[in-house]
Amino acid sequence: MSIEVKNLIKNFGERRVIDNVSFKVNNGETLAIVGFSGSGKSTILKLICGLLTPDSGEIITSEGDIAMVFQYSALFDSLNVADNIAFALHERKELRKKYSEKEIRKIVAEKLELVGLKGIENKFPSELSGGMQKRVSFARAIVTEPKSILYDEPTAGLDPISSTLIEDYIVRLKDETNAASVVVTHQMSTITRTANRVIMLYDGKVVFEGTPEEMLQQDNEYTKQFVTASLEGPMQMISEN
Amino acid sequence: MVNVFIQAIAIKTHFLYNQAMSSLQKYYKQSATYKIASGILKELEKFLDTLGKMSLNGIEVIKCILRWQIDIKELIEQCSRFGVSSLPITLSIVGMTSIIVASQVALEMVKQGGGNFVGLLMTILIIREVGVIMSGFAIISMIGSSLASEIATMRVTEQIDAIEVLKVNPIRYLFVPRVLSGFIMMPPVVLIASAVGVITGAITANLTSGLGYRAYFDSAWLGIYMKDLGVSMLKAFCFGGVIALISCSCGYYASGGAKGVGEATTKAVVWSFVAIVILDMFFAMAFFF
Repeated sequence: MSIEVKNLIKNFGERRVIDNVSFKVNNGETLAIVGFSGSGKSTILKLICGLLTPDSGEIITSEGDIAMVFQYSALFDSLNVADNIAFALHERKELRKKYSEKEIRKIVAEKLELVGLKGIENKFPSELSGGMQKRVSFARAIVTEPKSILYDEPTAGLDPISSTLIEDYIVRLKDETNAASVVVTHQMSTITRTANRVIMLYDGKVVFEGTPEEMLQQDNEYTKQFVTASLEGPMQMISEN
Repeated sequence: MVNVFIQAIAIKTHFLYNQAMSSLQKYYKQSATYKIASGILKELEKFLDTLGKMSLNGIEVIKCILRWQIDIKELIEQCSRFGVSSLPITLSIVGMTSIIVASQVALEMVKQGGGNFVGLLMTILIIREVGVIMSGFAIISMIGSSLASEIATMRVTEQIDAIEVLKVNPIRYLFVPRVLSGFIMMPPVVLIASAVGVITGAITANLTSGLGYRAYFDSAWLGIYMKDLGVSMLKAFCFGGVIALISCSCGYYASGGAKGVGEATTKAVVWSFVAIVILDMFFAMAFFF
């Protein structure tokens, strides 16, 4: 078992954003979390990787690193691509001792090749397109060989071809690293092409759990509304307040 | 029967009391006094919260420095930013302040027969206060605001979240080189700025009142005390670290996009100004009362 979430609850002020959510993701498996904007999807990722602490519930992860690919890449704009990817190797004492500078350069080149961006080590993030930035952030995420990879809307804002490319990399990284992956997304193509299982959140609660095929069968009122992008249905826009 | 009657009256009284209290509370909450008081309390709570967070960050920075968790390359880069980049504006501000003070003071003192004390007065004034406080203001405007906006931008673009997810201590990575460079670079900047202040004071005194350079510098030497210089350097050391710590902290807790970056920058500048004036007051009370 790589990621297990049990009865998770998180409140922001008086508003409950995650309400008793539980799920499991095994090694080599990808779980897609879908739902309305503001339904608590990204909050779950932040809780899993420790950026937020839950009010109650439990998160059990396998030993080892958890990596996260952020929605807007979150590359360090003052560092070039090589330094971005090697950031953890340079800054973490135990990794700095483990690898020489030559080995770090080799690892960076390997990771860049894995995401199809060979030879751009000296470029800065501002010189790259959105899709390339996203792929560099993939390379940065996997440099510590994590046991779990979290993706926060990895294909948001990308053209369909770049989205397909990113989806392919998600599948490839899962196969190469055998990591447990969680993908937060709105896009149907990302769900169908990358996920083994899907959970759907509404108002902080899980309203559907199943395979992408089951989601498309539209037996569930929530998934039916989501797939058909209908305004009519059980899900109404949640007020920010 | 009587008991039931008394109980009914008690229930009714309780109901009426609750109703009266609730309408009173409603009325009270709409009053200007309540709004002002709650506004002040909210601001006080925010102030104490920020102060607490800054203190915790300060303790973490000191811990990292004591454990020698310092990135020397980054420290040199930040020292260059803090010292070298800020030098032109700091020297201009201290120099111009000295021109203003000397032009007001020199002529009057020469007229009153106190020309021999102009250098002494200017030197004491610049070394004790003008050099360090005006350098502080210049560094807040130039470096403090830039530190706050840089770190706030990193916060709102999730770069700090990325640092945390990669299991790197953001205080060590972001705060330590910046705060340490503040401690290291502020004293030499103040020393150079004070020297420039004394010299521009001499030129101004000469131009406005015809006071000779020799007379000015002879009395200026008399005004240089080791204690004053030591206190000035100690103040500069503290101001540098405090400005960097406040600026980094304000940026670190920013939220809400471009507006949040702007607010963090403003907060950093205001807090740093207030902090160094308060610190300066304590130094004056501790060493010159």
